[in-house]
Amino acid sequence: MERYWNEEIETMSREDMKKLQNERLVKQVRHVYDNVKYYRDLMDKKGVKPEDIKSTDDLCKLPFISKADLREAYPYGLLAKPLSECVRIHSTSGTTGKRVVAFYTQHDVDLWNDCCARAITAAGGTNEDVCQVCYGYGLFTGGAGLDGGSHKVGCLTLPMSSGNTERQITFMRDLNTTILCCTPSYAAYIGETLHDMGLTPDDIKLKAGIFGAEPWTEEMRRSIEKSLGIKAYDIYGLTETSGPGVAFECSEQTGMHINEDNFIPEIIDPDTGEVLPEGQVGELVFTSITKEAFPLLRYRTRDLCVLSRKKCSCGRTLIKMAKPMGRSDDMMIIRGVNVFPSQIETVLIEQGYSPNYLIEVDRVNNSDTLDISVEMNTDQLSDKVKDMQKQERDLATAMRMMIGITPKVHLVTPKSIARSEGKAVRVIDRRKLHD
Amino acid sequence: MQNVRQISVFLDNKPNQLTGVMKIFKDAGINMRALSLADTKDFGILRIIVNDTDKALEKLKEASYACTATEIIAITIPDTAGQLSRVIDILGAENVNIEYLYAFIGKSDKAVSFAIRVDDNNHASDALLKGGIIQLTENDISEM
Repeated sequence: MERYWNEEIETMSREDMKKLQNERLVKQVRHVYDNVKYYRDLMDKKGVKPEDIKSTDDLCKLPFISKADLREAYPYGLLAKPLSECVRIHSTSGTTGKRVVAFYTQHDVDLWNDCCARAITAAGGTNEDVCQVCYGYGLFTGGAGLDGGSHKVGCLTLPMSSGNTERQITFMRDLNTTILCCTPSYAAYIGETLHDMGLTPDDIKLKAGIFGAEPWTEEMRRSIEKSLGIKAYDIYGLTETSGPGVAFECSEQTGMHINEDNFIPEIIDPDTGEVLPEGQVGELVFTSITKEAFPLLRYRTRDLCVLSRKKCSCGRTLIKMAKPMGRSDDMMIIRGVNVFPSQIETVLIEQGYSPNYLIEVDRVNNSDTLDISVEMNTDQLSDKVKDMQKQERDLATAMRMMIGITPKVHLVTPKSIARSEGKAVRVIDRRKLHD
Repeated sequence: MQNVRQISVFLDNKPNQLTGVMKIFKDAGINMRALSLADTKDFGILRIIVNDTDKALEKLKEASYACTATEIIAITIPDTAGQLSRVIDILGAENVNIEYLYAFIGKSDKAVSFAIRVDDNNHASDALLKGGIIQLTENDISEM
């Protein structure tokens, strides 16, 4: 029996949802135009007035907003409410440049928590559950989002934050944690540590995990599910739109339902900005229709994915987004070929290797080099050098089949690649392409 | 014929990788009888024969080293010219392929010992027995 947090919204007919979106969108465009000079200027420049937007069909008339705009408008330029009405700030990790800050009114926090509550419920969570949140707490939205959702559902919440993995497992055992929330790479590390401690999934009570904040593959999902004895659910979100909970996975595990009553998705051609029909791969764009303090219209996420309205067995009618193929800024262009770290990860897990790897890209004599360090698999250790070198070559061949170019594969000792407790750093690009 | 177990340890080809293994052996009182190191640009495979194979494997695994035991053949031959050639001829005549071999010091200064990794232990062992070559057991080596 499928459980919903908000059955009315989650199973609403398409017509009713569109009506609700239209009402909210019209109101939101007016709110933004009246209160955000930065976006008003963009609209004026494009010759669009709030009254031109009558329904979601008119979305394409609105200008896009990008990460560059957020940086330019830092910190208050996109704020739509007086600071006296704001109660919270979150911020992006700032690894790709200047930080981006997002503001929340109490109403925004409540709606966000509600989105996360839907995700936890879809993963089977109820007030009988013990929910261990090992996303980082603080400016990062992961901890606060799932923490708020867990409280809303009524789970006993363990606000662990990340780190100290053995202690995480001790708490998990002593307090009978049933739901784990963290990044997929940390979940994999917790699984590895559990086994190192001589324990098995039978020693813990976990039943589900809600993992997000970084791209991960289907192979990684199966590997985490096996090592922790759970069902692993994906969750999606960005600080710019609120945080985790923009979209969440149900028992079908074939994509994430977008909380369309709060966020209208579009898929566009990243080069031309044209809206693409359902089923085509393109850049995901979100319009927040309920946020008060930091309402972004047509925000370009840089995530590449596909949308689908195919009927879902869980009964939810909310549109589904496929697992993003990667953020367009995770994509590496090596010798002219587009390569995503997720493709490398897929090959490694298929071939029985640890999903901890390091990609190093460099340019030597005007030619790109791709080196991938992979932790050797203890089960495949041979005393013969030629066997080990064959493993390297076989892996390089499997990767060439996947990405189209042959990397140099380096086997390294097990556990020698740093484990991540938050978002994993998998790529070091030493090419100085922008100087 | 009881073959001898050799331990292989996977090490990164970087400074200070051997130190860790040596410290484990020192602390556990494990004595090495034979050692050979095969290296590539990325990694090395340390091959060792010790006086207590089980304990050494246990200690290495505890410290998360990637290691494995392989059966090899150990022989002892007189330390005079042409002796190794005799051994290799015996194996060659039987079409036994040698993957690698390395020498180590035996009990006597008039003899020298070899660890030989072949593709077929039983076949090699029978051939050496027929050819009158003395083979060592794990027990022999541990008592050296």
